[in-house]
Amino acid sequence: MFDAIVIGGRCAGSATALLLARRGHKVLVVDRSTFPSDVISTHFLWPHGTSYLNRWGVLDRVLAQTPSHTEINLVNDGIPLVGTVPVELLRQYFQQLHGDDTGVVQRYASVRRRVLDKVLVDAAVEAGAEVREGFVVEELISEGGRVVGIRGRTRQGTRVEERARVVIGADGRNSFVARTLKLPKYDERLKCTFAYWSYFSGFSPGSAHMHRRGRMSIAVVPTNFNQNMTLVFGPSEWFENFRRDVAGNFQRALDFVSPELGEQVRTQGKREERFYGTVDQSAFLRPLYGPGWVLAGDAGSSKDQCTAIGMTHAFRDAELVAAALDAGLSGRQPLEVALKQYESRRRSQSAAAYYDYVCTQAEMRPMRHDELQLFVSLRGNQAETNRFIATHGDIAPLSEFFQASNLMLLNDGAKEFSRDHAVFADFEATSRMYQQNLFAA
Amino acid sequence: MNPTTPPLEDDELIGSLLVAAEKVSHSLKGRSLEELLSTPETRESLGQYATEMGDAALQVSEMMRNWASHIPWESFISLRDSAQTPNDDGAVRALWSFFSEELPPVRKALQDMCQPAHQRRKVDPVEEYALDKNTYDFFRPAGRDLLKRTEEFHGWVEARRQTETWPYSRILEVTPGSTALVTNELGRLTQGINFASQDYLSLNAHPAVREAAARALHDFGPHSAGSAMAVGNTRISEQLEQALSSMLKMEHITLFPTGWAAGFGAVVGLVRPEDHVVIDRLAHACLQQGARAATKNVVRYEHLNVEAVRQSLKDIRGRDPRNGILVVTDGLFSVDADWPDLVTLQAICREYDATLLVDVAHDLGSMGPGGTGTLGMQNLLGKVDLVMGAFSKSFASNGGFLASHTPAVKQYVKMFGGSHMFSNALSPVQTAVVLKAAEIIRSPEGDMLRGKLFEAVGALRGELTGKGLTCMGSPSPIVPLLVGNEKLARTVYRLFFDRGVLAVMVEFPVTPIGAARFRLQVQASHKPEEAREAARVIGRCIEDARAHLTSAFGSELV
Repeated sequence: MFDAIVIGGRCAGSATALLLARRGHKVLVVDRSTFPSDVISTHFLWPHGTSYLNRWGVLDRVLAQTPSHTEINLVNDGIPLVGTVPVELLRQYFQQLHGDDTGVVQRYASVRRRVLDKVLVDAAVEAGAEVREGFVVEELISEGGRVVGIRGRTRQGTRVEERARVVIGADGRNSFVARTLKLPKYDERLKCTFAYWSYFSGFSPGSAHMHRRGRMSIAVVPTNFNQNMTLVFGPSEWFENFRRDVAGNFQRALDFVSPELGEQVRTQGKREERFYGTVDQSAFLRPLYGPGWVLAGDAGSSKDQCTAIGMTHAFRDAELVAAALDAGLSGRQPLEVALKQYESRRRSQSAAAYYDYVCTQAEMRPMRHDELQLFVSLRGNQAETNRFIATHGDIAPLSEFFQASNLMLLNDGAKEFSRDHAVFADFEATSRMYQQNLFAA
Repeated sequence: MNPTTPPLEDDELIGSLLVAAEKVSHSLKGRSLEELLSTPETRESLGQYATEMGDAALQVSEMMRNWASHIPWESFISLRDSAQTPNDDGAVRALWSFFSEELPPVRKALQDMCQPAHQRRKVDPVEEYALDKNTYDFFRPAGRDLLKRTEEFHGWVEARRQTETWPYSRILEVTPGSTALVTNELGRLTQGINFASQDYLSLNAHPAVREAAARALHDFGPHSAGSAMAVGNTRISEQLEQALSSMLKMEHITLFPTGWAAGFGAVVGLVRPEDHVVIDRLAHACLQQGARAATKNVVRYEHLNVEAVRQSLKDIRGRDPRNGILVVTDGLFSVDADWPDLVTLQAICREYDATLLVDVAHDLGSMGPGGTGTLGMQNLLGKVDLVMGAFSKSFASNGGFLASHTPAVKQYVKMFGGSHMFSNALSPVQTAVVLKAAEIIRSPEGDMLRGKLFEAVGALRGELTGKGLTCMGSPSPIVPLLVGNEKLARTVYRLFFDRGVLAVMVEFPVTPIGAARFRLQVQASHKPEEAREAARVIGRCIEDARAHLTSAFGSELV
């Protein structure tokens, strides 16, 4: 009999197991994979994501094999912004959400899942959790409407049954736990991006580049093995056309959004792996807990990749759910009450606003005139540029930045104007051009 | 497979799987297991499709297999073994059962992975457009044709009007009492409990107020016929100035034709480009715009944070000992129903030679001892540098005022505030109404009306809170009911109309993004039971709207 069984041993799962085990709970983690193991992911950690790793004492192990930076380069329709996430905003984030701001770091990192998930699984084992790899869960055991354990097959093919006071579904967007419990989806947002990426060696972009033009975006981010995660994404309406020639259209997208980066990838880049891609990214929420079970990470709420927030949110969930479960399992609080608090943190107004923000971004509509004007106004205003980046990454609340008097002050203090930027030259014609499917024959 | 060939992409592999699945379904169609077992060609082709599926599944990337964990990749891969023995009946039976039972839902799941989700479900584009955008999206339209570029905003407003989610185009058909009759944007009429009007003490229907209006109309006509600087003022204007002066314990009162004009005029009248304005982030729009018009040196401090004001004043005085600083706050904030520690704020201003301006538009008359608002509640009558207000909430009329301690300030703002000198004065009818209202407010009847008002406020807040809803701030004539998500708020708003609740929805840019709310404006004429009934309707509307949008988000802030 375990205190907790965690299904899924990746970002949300191993982290939850590690935190629970450190607090003295008897934890079993099962995952169908054997680690190291890869999985579809933008594998980007925003500075609060790396801060979580640091709080748990595993950041050094990740950074020993992964490049990390503080400066982020954003270019929207040719309007560049460079910034870093301020420490004060990171502290406020941790204070507000977790009541403690230890271990804050400003660095972000792009870390391959075969690297990161292995570090997390190992750390969970070191913390005292039992981890069974290659374990396929076949059934949830329910008694009197309550989930009390699992049945599954070990790596060796033996069928086993394990019981626990709570079962944690940390098993991703296509969660077995959620499917088995037939959990409904809420707040579904069907429009999303299609995303294709691969890994290129042979050039060095310095730090992360995230560029957008019209309805397409690209990102080039240094990652493990001296490679660059090179990603293009666009509206799902264009997916059918794009996939007809993945390699050709990948390069076409790079060239369209940033001729410089396109040139660099074409002339210096060596592709090290096949292209990966998906359009299956519509956003939803699921109920987060019930009798004997709770969800964390993508299993409970999945969103489009366009702000690359999934892993960081999984870490957030892990800290929140581990704190709640610790309070419940140790008897300091009724489990139901603790999990209700976990839910209210995940369903807050700030969370709703960010969810809406990501889903709206994921529609990949061309930037509006006023959005681009805002970027122009941010040029030369480093503090607000940094705050915008922190807002985009769900560190600072949207309501602080997107507040009328703030936006008016930004307008008033602008140092650059539309005449300084080419996109405004014939904005209407450009906007019409942006609506044309770039990949139509 | 040639080892130098790069692996196929997952897309193509899943495509091959689906093609094979299609062929399987075609060859199994209408066939029984017995028929299959007795047809060697079919056995063979099934084996071939099984091999195709297994081969494709085997090549699918580890990334995809781990991510699409709902697809039984291992079962596909093991199909290759079953396909090795087309003569073995047991193997064929196993294939048949996999293909006929397990495959169809998996095939659907694989198709879903390759097809953009938005193609699976139809949505109403007008509704989607209406619920989606924000007013601010249209603040900076593109193009050099000032008139043509307003069309996009108009298109969005039309979408919201059509979907009955636009809160700015209703028409009142009667006196706005505790209930009202309104027509909406589609011409539909409804009667409802009215929280949409600002008449906190219900003086609009008071016989003495109406009588004063009639008398002024008789004595002076409807028109003041000129600026207050010329001969727009009458002797009742003077009486009104005296009444306000004695109510606020401030010697000098300047009247303005609207509250907006008073706030804007006070700031631009006093502040020059080298001066500074330190203003609460949520202060009223007339003050924010006044600050922007007066100087580029504007600091917006965190709502109610007097320590942030102290720090700003210290910073400013550290680099600029010469110029003026105006600190600006509301007495009662109408969107959050809260108020600052004015005692400390005024003390800090004195410490740094800054001037404090308090806007008492919402609280003067409606709360505090004798209707003296938050100033009276904090024992600050006559002790604040500058006070401005509006008559439109508790005094049953348009109009506003600025109160100062010296005649010099009054003269100066009249001359340089713009909105006083270059507007037509309050009409005689308005002036008489405000004067009568001020009398009632300061009388025992005023106390009685405030008592009734707060009884209704208590009933409303109590019932809403009891339903787990969030009423922001403290008891005041305004009850801000937090909803959060704009889509949800707009959908709730639409439901209110048919279920007999009239309320003002406020959203970005009035509130920050993701913090939409209803501003329920209570009146003395609301019966507590009426308020409780409205709260019950509101609770049901929020539940139903959440179900309509299948939304799981709550309304807690962090």
